[in-house]
Amino acid sequence: MKTTILEKDGKTLVSIKGELDTGTCAKFQEAVKPLTGKEGLDVEFDLSELEYISSRGLRILISLQQDIMARGGKMRIKNVSTSVREVFDVTGLSKSFLNID
Amino acid sequence: MLLLTVFGLLIAASTLLAVRLARDVSLVRQYDALMDDLKIIAGEVSEKLDDDDADPYAFLEVTARIQKNERHFSYILREQDGTILAPSFMLDRELKMEDIHMLRKDNTAFVAHVWGVECFVVRYAFEDHPLELLGIYDDQYVFGDLDYAIHLFVGILLGLFLLILLLAWFWIIPALSRVLEKKQRAEEELMVARDLQQKAVTKTFPRDDRCEVSALLQPARTVGGDIYRCLLSDNKLFFAVGDVSDKGMAAAYVMFLLSSVIQSQAGAHLSLTALAGEINRLLLDNPEYEMFCTLFLGTIDLDTREFEYCNAGHTKTVVNGRFLPQDPQLIAGVVRDFPYKTEKMMLPPGSRLLLYTDGVTENRNTGGAFFGEQRLLEWVAAQDPADSCEKTCTRLLAALDDFRGKAQQNDDIAIMCIKIL
Repeated sequence: MKTTILEKDGKTLVSIKGELDTGTCAKFQEAVKPLTGKEGLDVEFDLSELEYISSRGLRILISLQQDIMARGGKMRIKNVSTSVREVFDVTGLSKSFLNID
Repeated sequence: MLLLTVFGLLIAASTLLAVRLARDVSLVRQYDALMDDLKIIAGEVSEKLDDDDADPYAFLEVTARIQKNERHFSYILREQDGTILAPSFMLDRELKMEDIHMLRKDNTAFVAHVWGVECFVVRYAFEDHPLELLGIYDDQYVFGDLDYAIHLFVGILLGLFLLILLLAWFWIIPALSRVLEKKQRAEEELMVARDLQQKAVTKTFPRDDRCEVSALLQPARTVGGDIYRCLLSDNKLFFAVGDVSDKGMAAAYVMFLLSSVIQSQAGAHLSLTALAGEINRLLLDNPEYEMFCTLFLGTIDLDTREFEYCNAGHTKTVVNGRFLPQDPQLIAGVVRDFPYKTEKMMLPPGSRLLLYTDGVTENRNTGGAFFGEQRLLEWVAAQDPADSCEKTCTRLLAALDDFRGKAQQNDDIAIMCIKIL
């Protein structure tokens, strides 16, 4: 699992590569920590290379979005692969919580 | 205890080594003294040779002996024919020629082995050179300047080793035992959490001539948050399968809490939507846990066989070999006051329901492949509809274990099977 965070034109681009499972979640949480506690962030996740997400991975994404939105920021997700999309759909997150392009 | 024994043995071994080293150092000192003596004798012999106008190529022989236990030295000078030039002193008996075996001979030096293994005597044949002792060798040690240095080096290493042992005794062992203690506490916590989880799931399933229920739970190595409950009250079979995100004590606590709420509220005939809302609120009211939960709630009216269900982000229930049509709803614990809805369907007689957590579909083999929904449906299709619910559960678990092979089980596996007779 590899997380890349880029700052571009006031936007924060996050891309995750690999699998977000029980073993890699702690690493991912550490990687996105700089995104918490900041006002008015505009964050975009590129999940084209994310192959799998476990429930712990979902939890981190949800907490992150809650934190970003509570501080007046925005969080969007794009390029979701089919398998991850299915998880977002089944959990109702794509319809009712996450902003997925 | 084992650690203490090992360290005790190490300390004993290093003490023995230290004693041995002290003996070696004393041998080196004795060697130095011998060298001095030999130089004097060499001088005397040189004079004698000069006096007698002897053959300058004559070999002289100096022997020294370290008696194994007594550690005293004696030496003797001979001419090649065995004539003793300078009789040995401190010698407990006179050396005989057969005591001396030549081992090496070249133009300048040869080595004699006195009394078998006890020592080596190194002699120098001289022309114009003074008699010189090159080294003494007993059956284990060669002493020379280099050897002295080596022994010093070994001594320093030994000292460092002892220091490390002392450090280990006073620092590493306590640190280690603290870690072990911590590990033990974690193990205990895990046991408590496991115990909670086992208490959070229904053990005795409702028995009725109109339905059959069975369920099982196989926890992952670390505790996950799978729960299920099932109860029968006033002709209504209520059942719930859920998965609390995260693992460990906090998850176990939340899981237990939810399980109790489900049990009591379902018994009180709270509607499924109200129950889902209640659980959602409960999770959001404890934000410090940052937990959410997938949940499948269902009731079956055993008189009418009407099946009502509410799925909050949970896996797809299999009804009679097909996935239950459903509109995905958000997992509980994410959005406050989320309006959960229920759906309804009529179950034909003999219907079979299979509920499970994502530990089933996300069960992975060593190659990283998932068991997946497709394989699950195929597995269900291959089962005998006459099987008891208990058999179905254990067979599915066995199939999952088979599929996983040697891979580690990463998540709890919960399976519930319901049969409407």
